[in-house]
Amino acid sequence: MQQAVPQPSSDAPGPPPPGDRRIRRLRTLLVNQIAAGEVVERPASVVKELLENALDAGATRVRIEIESGGIELVRVTDDGVGMGKDDLPLAVAPHATSKIETATDLDRIATFGFRGEALASIASVSRMSIRSRTASEPGGWQLDIEGDVVGAVRPASGAVGTSVAARNLFFNTPARRKFLRTVGTERTRCIDVVRACAMSHAAVAFEALVDGKSVLDVPPGQSPRDRALAILGKELESEMIEVRADRYDDARGLSLWGLVGKPSTARATARAQHLFINGRAIKDRTVQHAVGEAFRGLIEPGRYPTAVVMLELSPEGVDVNVHPQKTEVRFRDQSMVHSVVLRAVREALAREDLTPSLGGRLDGSGRGQRPGSATEILPGGVGGGVAGGADVGTRGFVDFFKRAIPERAQHRLSYDAVREAIERVERAGTEPAEQGAAQTGTPRAEVPDAGRGFESSAEAQRADAGAAALPAPVPAHRVLQVHNSYLVTQDEHGVVIVDQHALHERVMFEILYARVSEGVLESQQLLTPAVVEATPERIERLGELAALLAKIGIVAEPMGPRTVGVRSFATLLFERGVDPVEFMQELLDKADRERFVPDSEEALREVLDMMACKAAVKAGDRMSDDELRALLELRGEVERSSNCPHGRPTSVRLTISELERLFGRS
Amino acid sequence: MKVVCDRASLLEAINLVSGVVATRTPRPQLTCVKLTAAKEGKGGTLTLTATDAEISLRLRVDNVDVEQPGETLIPADKLRQIISAEDNEPTLTLEASGDTVDIRGEDAHFKVYGHPPEEFPAVAEFKAAVSGSGGNPPAKAVFKHPAKSLSEVIARTIFATARENTRYAINGVLLSRDGKKLEMVATDGRRLALCRATLTEKDGPSVKCIIPTKALTLLQRLLGSAQGDVDIAITDNQIFFNISQGESGADESAVLASNLVEGAFPPYEDVIPKDNDKMVHVDRDVLFSAVRRAALLTNEESRGVRLSFTGQDNRLDLSSRAPEMGEANIQVDLTDYKGEDVSIGFNPGFITDALKVISDPDVIIELKKENKPGLIRSGDDFVYVVMPVTLQ
Repeated sequence: MQQAVPQPSSDAPGPPPPGDRRIRRLRTLLVNQIAAGEVVERPASVVKELLENALDAGATRVRIEIESGGIELVRVTDDGVGMGKDDLPLAVAPHATSKIETATDLDRIATFGFRGEALASIASVSRMSIRSRTASEPGGWQLDIEGDVVGAVRPASGAVGTSVAARNLFFNTPARRKFLRTVGTERTRCIDVVRACAMSHAAVAFEALVDGKSVLDVPPGQSPRDRALAILGKELESEMIEVRADRYDDARGLSLWGLVGKPSTARATARAQHLFINGRAIKDRTVQHAVGEAFRGLIEPGRYPTAVVMLELSPEGVDVNVHPQKTEVRFRDQSMVHSVVLRAVREALAREDLTPSLGGRLDGSGRGQRPGSATEILPGGVGGGVAGGADVGTRGFVDFFKRAIPERAQHRLSYDAVREAIERVERAGTEPAEQGAAQTGTPRAEVPDAGRGFESSAEAQRADAGAAALPAPVPAHRVLQVHNSYLVTQDEHGVVIVDQHALHERVMFEILYARVSEGVLESQQLLTPAVVEATPERIERLGELAALLAKIGIVAEPMGPRTVGVRSFATLLFERGVDPVEFMQELLDKADRERFVPDSEEALREVLDMMACKAAVKAGDRMSDDELRALLELRGEVERSSNCPHGRPTSVRLTISELERLFGRS
Repeated sequence: MKVVCDRASLLEAINLVSGVVATRTPRPQLTCVKLTAAKEGKGGTLTLTATDAEISLRLRVDNVDVEQPGETLIPADKLRQIISAEDNEPTLTLEASGDTVDIRGEDAHFKVYGHPPEEFPAVAEFKAAVSGSGGNPPAKAVFKHPAKSLSEVIARTIFATARENTRYAINGVLLSRDGKKLEMVATDGRRLALCRATLTEKDGPSVKCIIPTKALTLLQRLLGSAQGDVDIAITDNQIFFNISQGESGADESAVLASNLVEGAFPPYEDVIPKDNDKMVHVDRDVLFSAVRRAALLTNEESRGVRLSFTGQDNRLDLSSRAPEMGEANIQVDLTDYKGEDVSIGFNPGFITDALKVISDPDVIIELKKENKPGLIRSGDDFVYVVMPVTLQ
């Protein structure tokens, strides 16, 4: 690191004479600059540190100004407690902090900043000016620092709170400055930081000005949901599913709230994923992986779901002092966090009917309301969607022609709702008094509500609406098989087109997964081993794979230097005409990949994916009427049958209202 | 060519021949049937020939009046449809001129466009196959066997063949002739059926070949009504069956020829267990019923039925369990089970498949232990090996 203005400092010796290699203490500026290298990597880090300071100071309004990607200026102004005259010089001294005192405090860090190096670090690589005023003082104070030249504290005007401006970042460390990306890139990163921060602090108002233009302006006191949507974009509202976990016994003080996007909102990068722990934006592979796993089979590999995940856990449960930028954390119980996130997201998804619609309508009328189409076609429409129906229809009409690419719309028919409906009808059979209520849509309050603790009343209404829409188990409709590949049928929303292979694969996967969770798959021994050629390396790995193979009903062992013998093979695969040799070959190929961990849940799912794909009917397979009906009946019985395990949709729907629009009837 | 045929006889023949007509082929000639009319003594014969390039069938219809001998080649499905639809006619007249065929009934006239008969591939005759012709060496083995017995041997094995397996050899049935011993064997890798018969012939050369399932299925249809013996000739790459309607040996009223399946059949002698020490006699119908009932509560993923033999109670318990469906338990009283208790899982379909082709009510089951192959026997002729399934 180059030092722009070498100046002797009181607690460090001067620059060493050439050739002198004695060990000596580094001068303060240099220490701070080195520390700055860790904390202040780029303008976005400055934004982050300053924002965290502002929030730690109890701000209710924060204003961020960024110029030239934050390289020229980052200014954060808050209405927090502010600092007095004597505090100002201390604020920029290294390892000076008001947030922790002893090492034991490190175990329960509840504030953002705590290392006491942020301001000093930023000050050491920029021209900083701090202006602050406490509520008890009539006027404020200002302090300017340039490198390690700390100016005198002088009186200044201003409101209660603190305003920190960092200009000309890295002016004295040109080497670092060289590593900055383009202004545009740095700007984007700064905005990302602001957005993340704003997302996790719904109670605080944020206003961000980038080169004089407002890029974010959110009021104080918003709900987390409103705040998240305000930042993600209102248009995603109907695409987001709420996730909550505060009811798991094994969560041990971990609670989760979040929004996950429907599969259609998945992106090619993880940028649309916002993870927070105790309000701190983090990057965490455990959480990210758990979210990805929950979406396995719903989105194509390599894409990332849009997600906001906020975790709250006791400060003892997480170590945030892992990384100077505090973007990485270490959980005390990583697998617990993983499983809670996975389960919560998975369950939230399972409650949704994710069947994409063919048409270009966004429901948009608010969470929990049923789509207008369903209301229109159901005699005596019930639930809360009636009022929104017409409005939605009109807007949808406009949207339909505005958008060339069909947008996936939301349709609410969850398995839960169907099951509940069936149960209610069964109940109604034995309790005549309830029958009337079941048909007209039982108000939520009358339904026993055990075990649904966290569901919002909107969701509850939705379930009821679905229940009322289905007075009996779905009648078997006529099914048409098109080109021996697609099934066309109807449900109460309209026309449903199903990819027979994708759906069957999905169904198979869920069945297999359920079986494997209970035990091992049934296995048929072979008269003579099926011989599979394999490299010696692969044969060596067979031992590692044995447990996984046993689970799926395969017994394979080395037969020679280059062959593996399959002695036993899953009954199901035999029933479905899958060839043991081909299957085993493919399995070994899969196991060869670097990321394949034989004993992991992921590996099991991957192998079951493969099994399901092989065992499922193929496109082009003619199916009898009974088979068609049986397959469609299974559609409702498995979780998220709307996407095959590879993430492609299994079915699409053309709603009645879309048909009406297409035929110019609406 | 001009012939007057008995419609019923012609329909029967065209239905059989249609079984080998190729359906998806770039050569339209292969979708045709070749008609050959010949004068023989007072009457005449009409021979229908079809081939799909793997299998060929030549069928002779005797109830015809040949006015003018000759031959023609016409689309098989059209011919079959017309003959089938003219169901009020006792006779039909077929007259070929050039590449078209006129089919006339009492009130109907069809003109069907065909192809020049020379474009049809040559189909070897039985005699020619035996003696060798056109550069082909004479058959490696020629023998005869009663049609009824042959049909039984085929029926007792063909069900166990694999379907569309990549090991082509097991998609067919192995025929092995060794001296006076005729054996046919079929397996799909999970069970194996072997059926023996004794040839009436004197000793002859031993020969083994694999016959495609499709050819044997067709042969079964031809054998259905046949009396007397079937002549069999095996060449390097083909097998010929000559089925006579009457007593006469080689009148070639129906000749089926098929390419043989290449490849090695699994060493079946090795997989037939020799040391199964637990043996029990059961009644075929009782066992069939018990297995079928136990199979009611199985599904695709939980196919197995557990057979538990208890020596003390002299009893067989069959049980099945399908997750989310239910369970079944069936009891069968045994008469002579004295061995140790043994419990083993099988695919019930594999057991009933075998019981269906066993005619003797006395069936012998031989077992060793849970993870060892089971054996079902009937008399000295039928041996059936079935591999267990590992139940949950």
